[in-house]
Amino acid sequence: MVGSLDALVAEMTSIVGVDAVRAGELDRHLFGKDAGVTRGEVSVVVLPKTARQVAAVVRAAVSHGVAVVPRGAGTGLSGGAVPESPAVLIVTTRMNQIDLDAGNHQAWVGPGVINLDLSDHTDQFGLYFAPDPSSQAACTIGGNVANNSGGPHCLAEGSTVNHILAVEFVTADGDIVVAGSGAPDPIGLDLRGVMVGSEGTLGVVTRVLVKLLPKPPAIRTLLLAFPEVAGAAATVSGVIAAGVVPAALEMMDRPLIRAVENFVHADLPVDAAAVLLAEVAGHEAGVDAEAELIAQTATENGAFQVRRAADAEERELLWKARKSAFGAIAQIAPDYYLHDTVIPRTKLVEVLDQIYEIATRRNLLVLNTIHAGDGNLHPKFAFDGSDPEAVAQVKAAADEIVEISIAAGGTLSGEHGIGLEKRDLMHLVFSPVDLDAQARLREAFDPIGVMNPAKVLPAGSRCFDFGRPIPEGTWV
Amino acid sequence: MTGLRSTLGKLFGGSKIEIDGAPSAELVVAPDSADQIARLLDFASEHRLTVLPWGAGVHQGFGGRIEPDVIVSSSNLAGAVEWNPDDLTVVVGSGITLGGLDEVIGARRQSAVLPEADLSATIGGVVAAGVSGWRRLRYGPTRDRVLQGQFVTGDGRMVTGGARVVKNVTGYDIPRLLTGSFGSLGIITSVCLKLWPEPEAAATVTADDPERAAAVTYRPQAVLETGDGVSVFLAGTSAEVEAQATALAGEVAEGFVWPEPPIGTCAVRMRVSPVDVSPLVAQIGTGPFVAAHGVGEILAGIESDEIEPLREWAEVRGGTLVVERAPDDVYEAIDPWGASPSTLDLQRKVKAAFDPLGVLVPGRLPGGI
Repeated sequence: MVGSLDALVAEMTSIVGVDAVRAGELDRHLFGKDAGVTRGEVSVVVLPKTARQVAAVVRAAVSHGVAVVPRGAGTGLSGGAVPESPAVLIVTTRMNQIDLDAGNHQAWVGPGVINLDLSDHTDQFGLYFAPDPSSQAACTIGGNVANNSGGPHCLAEGSTVNHILAVEFVTADGDIVVAGSGAPDPIGLDLRGVMVGSEGTLGVVTRVLVKLLPKPPAIRTLLLAFPEVAGAAATVSGVIAAGVVPAALEMMDRPLIRAVENFVHADLPVDAAAVLLAEVAGHEAGVDAEAELIAQTATENGAFQVRRAADAEERELLWKARKSAFGAIAQIAPDYYLHDTVIPRTKLVEVLDQIYEIATRRNLLVLNTIHAGDGNLHPKFAFDGSDPEAVAQVKAAADEIVEISIAAGGTLSGEHGIGLEKRDLMHLVFSPVDLDAQARLREAFDPIGVMNPAKVLPAGSRCFDFGRPIPEGTWV
Repeated sequence: MTGLRSTLGKLFGGSKIEIDGAPSAELVVAPDSADQIARLLDFASEHRLTVLPWGAGVHQGFGGRIEPDVIVSSSNLAGAVEWNPDDLTVVVGSGITLGGLDEVIGARRQSAVLPEADLSATIGGVVAAGVSGWRRLRYGPTRDRVLQGQFVTGDGRMVTGGARVVKNVTGYDIPRLLTGSFGSLGIITSVCLKLWPEPEAAATVTADDPERAAAVTYRPQAVLETGDGVSVFLAGTSAEVEAQATALAGEVAEGFVWPEPPIGTCAVRMRVSPVDVSPLVAQIGTGPFVAAHGVGEILAGIESDEIEPLREWAEVRGGTLVVERAPDDVYEAIDPWGASPSTLDLQRKVKAAFDPLGVLVPGRLPGGI
């Protein structure tokens, strides 16, 4: 840092005002972590309200030689909002303006708007924002953009990137720029697409233009119980092969079903090896046929129970069960480690078998919720963080899960991001040349390394020049 | 240049190929591997040769004109296909045509939902141009389908971005950046595309009013207006197609009856916010057009003196007018893209990150990038 911490705090205070700066020891400690397991160091927390304030904060941080790290609600799990070395933490929760353009099915949204609040706000116009992470009651749109968040309903509607039309952001130079627009296919390179999922490493997002969808007039929700995981997996493939892409196709395994039932009391089939929560949404005349096809496919694949949600209340109960996994796990053990990898959906049974084998061998309890339709795995290890042996086993199991996912043709993260957690695993899916290309892209946006440094790309990614490897031993 | 020709000849066996409609170049090559392209681009960067990637030439009308030293055809990159129907993904070489892909994946009634108009276009060309089919109202634009891209950068590095899975946030979304880059960042050698199952039934129904059509249907595949009127493109289960066709109360044709691409003195592509589609249609003269309601894209065949007023109308409202084709004298006098985007400086830096010596299609993108 250039100059003292006091000078930095004073300058930040002059930009955002005294009520929008947190520099006390407790605040710096509290803001030093996200919902995952990594902890970092915060120099000062600022809570700006406008893009101009963010721009001034970035310029001031640069002049003090300190990096900036953007953060929304802090529900991230990969350490993306955790500063690895002391940084200015830009908390966007006060940037929560929504400007709805109902005619165009679009809205300009501040990064601090909570995901569910957006859909609640647009509900009266029959519109909603499709990405629905399990944390949607707490997570912010800015965080969704940073991590290209998904959720159960991204099977049919795609992840956050499919719903962002434009991104306003502050560059490393402290300029406010807009990539994209309300008109489709803006000319030139698609910088908007690159900003989504860039985890705050290319700029600080200050506003986004989201695409809203008309709410489906009819929804059918089914809970399908199987004696074998294989039957559930075959149902997923069978439904899609029959030409139906349901709105959601979620799997829960036996340990999770039991934990959730204990917690939510939704009358779940606790004897099932796996259940599928399937939902079809669309025109009133179409949903029954699609629901019937799913029920029939499930029965053909050995389902012993097909439960159709009779009304909105029962549908909500079933979804509550699906989205209550974390609360349920808290009843079992004080800590959990939630994983996020993606595999081709056809590899589900084989990879799940391997996950059970890993857990058994390491004496760990694993519970699975799976976005089965798109092959997104979320194994959760329940453990006691005060037991160092358990922590070591959980970490080792996590690495193994990454390995088997990649061996199955998958990748590191489907919706939680790379952050700090998986940064040093990037070489497992990308060659040095691939990583170098990503590092060059980052450098084009942020040549001085002020934007959320140390995230996403491992140190030394930028190690090639003109396609020719630098000779071994060269000092770079 | 003679020395370079002979060196390139040695690299590529001296096989000369001819391409109809391509500009003249010192050398036209059709490499059969990414590795060959890498060696070529490494060489091109070293010798500052201008390189133009070429698929079927369908989208070469876009942007600044290129005077290439070397044209790289993707015709020998058409073979590789790895289709995973149960995963709804396919990996293809960039030289495969839309028709060729349909032949493969049509066997299980799957579709990559790409442009319908010209099935001779290559996948590489469609991705590079970032053009989408009419069904983007329901399925989103082409860039929503590009899961992974393999390409060779201007300085000859073979790079892979993305992954062969339908959901991913592992590093930067380079496939999306490639989509619509017009070859300015690299030569695309293969892509992995997300597929959709074709619905059970489809119909095309005429309608009087696009707003009413939207009100009585739920998320149709497309709502297109031409000089002949409005058509609604429906798909789904037989029951829902029938119910919505009845609600529309128009003339029903089975399947999708796509409009002919509009042909006029100049071919333009206008993009505006969805609510501006009808007002913009009212601005177009007597030429043919196809307007995508709900999307905001309008293709039109117009007279050259209509370009400026229509462009101004669109740009004032945050839209664009791109001239895709015009008589030479008209094309030379205008900017094919119109006003440059505000992120031009950043775009220039991104281009340089992938093509540091600027050998790939220099001047093709907005702002002369």
